[in-house]
Amino acid sequence: MPLPAKAFQHWLHSVAPATSTADICRIAGIKRTTLAQQLVRGKVAEATLVSISRALGLNPVDGLAGFESYAGLRDTSRPPTQAELVSQIATTDLLRAVIARTGGGEATATLSPAPHATSVRNWVDAIDDGDVRHRVSAATGIARQNFSAQLTANRLAPELAVATSRAAGVGLAGGLVATGLITEAEAGWAPGARQAALEALSDGELATLAGDRLQALGKTLRRQEQEQAQTEKIWENLG
Amino acid sequence: MIVTVLQWGTLAVCALVALARIPSARRGENRPVFYILLLLMVAILLSIEEPYQVIDRFLGGINLANVVLRFVVFAAVFFLGLQIAKGFGAEDARRFLTGKVGIGVAVLSSAVVIGLFLMMDTAGSSAGLVDVAAKSARNRALVEYYGAAGRLYPAFVLLALLPAMVRTVRSRLPLIIRGSAVSMAVGSAATALSLGFPLIPPGFGCWRFVINYTGILCLVLGLVLIWAGRLAARRLPRPPAGGAVP
Repeated sequence: MPLPAKAFQHWLHSVAPATSTADICRIAGIKRTTLAQQLVRGKVAEATLVSISRALGLNPVDGLAGFESYAGLRDTSRPPTQAELVSQIATTDLLRAVIARTGGGEATATLSPAPHATSVRNWVDAIDDGDVRHRVSAATGIARQNFSAQLTANRLAPELAVATSRAAGVGLAGGLVATGLITEAEAGWAPGARQAALEALSDGELATLAGDRLQALGKTLRRQEQEQAQTEKIWENLG
Repeated sequence: MIVTVLQWGTLAVCALVALARIPSARRGENRPVFYILLLLMVAILLSIEEPYQVIDRFLGGINLANVVLRFVVFAAVFFLGLQIAKGFGAEDARRFLTGKVGIGVAVLSSAVVIGLFLMMDTAGSSAGLVDVAAKSARNRALVEYYGAAGRLYPAFVLLALLPAMVRTVRSRLPLIIRGSAVSMAVGSAATALSLGFPLIPPGFGCWRFVINYTGILCLVLGLVLIWAGRLAARRLPRPPAGGAVP
């Protein structure tokens, strides 16, 4: 569930008591009509709270943690696992690391910030003990193929991301980083944590991981090419 | 009333679509679809009372126009079937329709249509052979079988393509293509339903028209959707699906 409008307005009043809604929208870069619509429907998108928090110079995680469904988000006793950190490194950065280690190209450049093009699926794979999808679908009622479809589209609704973290027993913020709702820093990930996790991988682990990523990428690209060819054929014969 | 609206409405839709395609047809883009639309237009024209009367009187007033109508429909469905099979990548269906069985059914339907027509007393122009059927019990039976033979081949072709359409609906191709496949599948199902016309109780005859024209409209709508999709795709290139390219 997105955030309940009543609780959201309560939060908004507590962080910006003197600011008008119009001003909030202006500084946060949200359309007034969008916010109004979300309030009328009684459900405010998490992304709205994140934009407003950032505009006010607050950490959105603090704001989110005040809501019932995100309780425990601030819990720093469970830092991201090594696998989670590595999952948020873009495939091209992994490949660059492979080349650098085998004595090829330049020394490690800085990693591009999370999320990357397949970060959601990679994150779920990183925390999956083989049964996590099943538990998420049991806990939230989402059909497994719908969950899968979101991963394929590199998306995951925030409440599902948190539910997935809970089901896997990892820190709650990881999925929100993987979906790009919040940044690593906002989630409390130590600066350089991903870099350190990357360096901790043995050559063999790194090569295998990069290989898996390349294979998945190849599969996706081939599927896209095939669909493109099918589409062209339809345009050509029936369009 | 509803029948007249359906008939003229479908004719207008076909005519508009064909008209809109003239520029691209002149550039040589996908002429077969243009010709298919023209054939469908002629077929609809020949099923409406007033134009039928004019054309049939010109052909001698013995309802030869109705035989022409059957063969125009056969031709339109055959070529439409080929284009759909090619477009949807149904090589098996294409080979089936152009193979022994497919051509066999076409020849058989044609032979039965001609044979039954020759056995009837067909004097006096009448769209849908309504007046011809009313002449005698024998004529009524012959007209019923004649109509069934005329519906057999279109239903056969479109049923053969139904699996390919369903496959396309369930694929991950662009939404407009899948929508078009839905529309064509509905059209095909309606055409197949037309085989059951003799089961429709007398007095509910207008259902025949509703099913027939729903079929044609859905097929044409399918073509229009694909065409619109192609035009849109040319204007703005499609973003990569899945967003998995780094």
